[in-house]
Amino acid sequence: MNRDEPSGPIVRAAGLVKTHRPEGAAPVHAVRGVDLSIERGEFVALTGPSGAGKSTLLHLLGGLDRPDSGSLWLDGRQVDAYSEARWAMLRRNHIGVVFQFFNLVSNLTVADNVELPALLAGRSPRQARTDRAELLDELGLTGKENSTPGELSGGEQQRVALARALVNTPSLLLADEPAGSLDSKGTKEVLRLLARFHQRGQTILLVTHDARMASAADRVISFFDGQVVDDAHLGDAPKRPAAGVADVLKLKG
Amino acid sequence: MRAAARWTQAHLTAHRPAAVLTALATAGITISLLLATALFAYAADPWQRAFTQSSGAHVWIHTQGGAPAGSLAGLDEVRATSGPFRTVRTTASLQPGDSRATLELRGAAKRPATAAPQIVAGRWLDAHTDAGADAGATQGIVLESSVARAMWAKPGDTIVLSGFAAHLRVVGVADTAEVTFRAGETPGVAWVLPATLDASDAGRDERGRTIGLQLGDPADTDYVVQRAVTRLGADQITDVSTWRQAKAAAEGGNQLLGRLLGLFGLGALLAAALAVGGAISTRIRGHLRDISILKAIGFTPGQVVRMFVALHLGLALLGVALGALLTQVVGTLVPGRIGEAMALWRQLPGHAWLTLVISGGVVAFIGAATCLAAWRAGRVPPVPVARAATAAGGRASALTRRALGLRVPPALVLGWRGAFHRPLRSSAAVARLAVPLLLITIALGAWTTLDRFTSHPENVGLPAALTARSDTLDDRELRQLLGSQREMTAYPGAEVQALVPGQTGTITLRGLGTDARPYPGAVVEGRAAHGPDEAVAGQGLLDLLDARVGDWVRMTVAGRPHVLHIVGRSIETSDGGRVVSTTLDTLREGAGDDAAPRADAPPRPDFYQLVLRPGADPDSARESLSKASGGRLEVRETPNPADQLSAVRAVSVGLIAVLTLIGLVELATTVGAGVRDRSRDLLALRAVGLTPRQITAVIVSATAFITLAAALAGTTLGVLASQWLINLQGRASGWGAGIAQRPAPGILLLVIVVAVLIAATAAVLPAARAARRRLADSATDLL
Repeated sequence: MNRDEPSGPIVRAAGLVKTHRPEGAAPVHAVRGVDLSIERGEFVALTGPSGAGKSTLLHLLGGLDRPDSGSLWLDGRQVDAYSEARWAMLRRNHIGVVFQFFNLVSNLTVADNVELPALLAGRSPRQARTDRAELLDELGLTGKENSTPGELSGGEQQRVALARALVNTPSLLLADEPAGSLDSKGTKEVLRLLARFHQRGQTILLVTHDARMASAADRVISFFDGQVVDDAHLGDAPKRPAAGVADVLKLKG
Repeated sequence: MRAAARWTQAHLTAHRPAAVLTALATAGITISLLLATALFAYAADPWQRAFTQSSGAHVWIHTQGGAPAGSLAGLDEVRATSGPFRTVRTTASLQPGDSRATLELRGAAKRPATAAPQIVAGRWLDAHTDAGADAGATQGIVLESSVARAMWAKPGDTIVLSGFAAHLRVVGVADTAEVTFRAGETPGVAWVLPATLDASDAGRDERGRTIGLQLGDPADTDYVVQRAVTRLGADQITDVSTWRQAKAAAEGGNQLLGRLLGLFGLGALLAAALAVGGAISTRIRGHLRDISILKAIGFTPGQVVRMFVALHLGLALLGVALGALLTQVVGTLVPGRIGEAMALWRQLPGHAWLTLVISGGVVAFIGAATCLAAWRAGRVPPVPVARAATAAGGRASALTRRALGLRVPPALVLGWRGAFHRPLRSSAAVARLAVPLLLITIALGAWTTLDRFTSHPENVGLPAALTARSDTLDDRELRQLLGSQREMTAYPGAEVQALVPGQTGTITLRGLGTDARPYPGAVVEGRAAHGPDEAVAGQGLLDLLDARVGDWVRMTVAGRPHVLHIVGRSIETSDGGRVVSTTLDTLREGAGDDAAPRADAPPRPDFYQLVLRPGADPDSARESLSKASGGRLEVRETPNPADQLSAVRAVSVGLIAVLTLIGLVELATTVGAGVRDRSRDLLALRAVGLTPRQITAVIVSATAFITLAAALAGTTLGVLASQWLINLQGRASGWGAGIAQRPAPGILLLVIVVAVLIAATAAVLPAARAARRRLADSATDLL
């Protein structure tokens, strides 16, 4: 993706459809004709009840799963027909993914976990090490370079996952329920970090069923039964003190 | 590249014990296969063994007396020579029958270094005692073993040879790697002192020279023969024989052995490949989650496949190299027959090539299994989904629920369900464990078949333990003497060589027993020969003539035709099965069927086969016979091919050891997979209320059930396969189908019980450790 051309949305999806067919059960229409467009630098939250299909949509946008039909453009390039290998190369350099269950490689140290994408992208080991050190510093994880994921708390693991996702300065950061396995302290940390990176210009797509997390975003897309039901930009509404969660979403009739 | 290297390095560091174990297991399997091959080479080709041990000569040139045979030593291709020996051609009378044997006597003062005769009885010639110089001392002769067998001679006997005034005394019998003696076809070899040769009054036609040439490269044989003929002149050369002829002549009887051993070897290789392949694919399956994470980070499927293949192939190469190196360096130091076999194998031709083939074969098989597993790994979706959600579930079957209701220990029930819940995966595990057990059963079948040869020879066509004949007693006296012995029954017999249409070699026509008292042979197809002109043939003969039971066969004996009706097939272990047996009366009738008037008394049988009463000891029977006859009777033991096949016993033991090792590798894989699968349910099991001991029992019983199923399948299939395979080999080698014997049910039960016990024991420790693991405190532990 070329940063020299800041025009055009980073993500544009048209008519994405995905149906899961588990063995011996009825097919599940996870994503039913979704149109979506995300601009550079936006912090988008995708909310909805569990089972709505949010994670599936995120997987489609990250190339972790293939849509049954529809088109997808990432930074002007049409990517829905990409092979798995090409998607992998795209993900290396331009997309970072953070999962609910951290998904760190269990037998690699924290340092190795974070450096792996950098090495994949072709950077030299020394450079990878510098980038890693910087990032871990920023995330408050200095001193944990040689621990394995099993020795860290949930919040620390998620921060390592975040570092891994951001080490290649991706154009797009996808976060799938990043605080789903964390306690309130961990949740606050993750929110703070996401906000910080967003301020530096990182485009973030956050999937969450927690409305409080969603409120940290610029734009909230509501998802229900595989379709987008609302797309609201926060910040238009006047700030009210002690605003409740219910005020975030306005259902259009 | 860098990322792949980083991941591989970290993976090896994290899983170091498993990696070391895999490399060691591969090394162990390679070592076993190489040692087994050495044993096979040692046992399967006795001719090659004799050739190598005696440092044999590839070409034997027989010339006239004055030819400069020694000049052949100067040829470039010749590495060493045996001789040249001065020779005298002579004849000896041969019993049974009146044929005469042609012998070539070689004058050798001391045992030659090249083509050294290997003494099997008696001793070599001694310059002092065997020269016959002193009064009363006879000149000594050493016979080659096939000649000694045909002449019924052993050390201490005296023989009469044409051209020698005095009798010669046999001082020793020796084995060589030359073409074996066949009456009427190939002359036999014997050695005397040069002085003895000088003393003979053989004419110039009967004197000659013989030289044996050992070549640097056996492929030069034909070329060297040409050179020799050119150098010496074709008129000077009387005969040429090569190692190829000797090998072909010797190979007749050993086909069964070679085939059986080849079969075993192939089976072992297959089992080893399956074991290591299974271990690798199971380990890769355990890393599925890691693989999808790697893909999510940005590894392409091709990179993932290449990483795994490189890792496991590298370990395999390391293991194989280690195993091959250890075998080469330490192999000869192993005590017993294995060390001998290794030392011999080094010198055999094709040794280096075979080592490379086996090492390469192991690596290739492992590589293939790894590629398959890695390819499957490459197809894992990049979405690290919680695996618990994707495992196919199902209601507990009615049987399970009833069992739980009947207070069967829940551990057993859950173990059963866990073992057989997923039919595809569990049948793969059962099949992998069943293969080594199947092969072990086949090895046991071979062992039992061999036992049958030694303990019940009457079932395989060898009812007579002893054969007797006499030169001095006349037939009536002999019959009286043998009839008076209570513990044996004597059957008269005669054996002649016959020609059959379309074949250049001869077959053996044997007449045993009379119509009144037929010989108890082992007829496996059809019926025994009763009436006139009926006969029973061995499989080798039927194959040779392309005949079946029920056909009429024509053969020529000493110029006279015989026509026989083949009414049955018997197991014939001598002469490659190319034997026709009929009654003595039929044989004599055919012989007397010419213009010459028959003598009043029927011609005497050549020998008597003595069938001992069950339980009688052959040695004591022989002693009592020689005592009763006052030494005028010659009795010897009928050769039992079980002696030839005794190598199969040693090889079976070796093979069972190799297969046990392979089975243990498989078991380790199965146990590991079982523990990993059950660990996911650990929390659930604890919540239900099972104690850690019960949870351990669940895992152990799951493994035990899989092993039980594998053992039952393996032994059942193994019994069927062993019978079929051994009969197949028997048929192909000319002895005939019907030799196979099933292993005793008790032994099979023992194998099953031992297998299940070993499996349960191996599973206890890992299961106990898994059951007592700390409760997972984060969801990642369960995925």
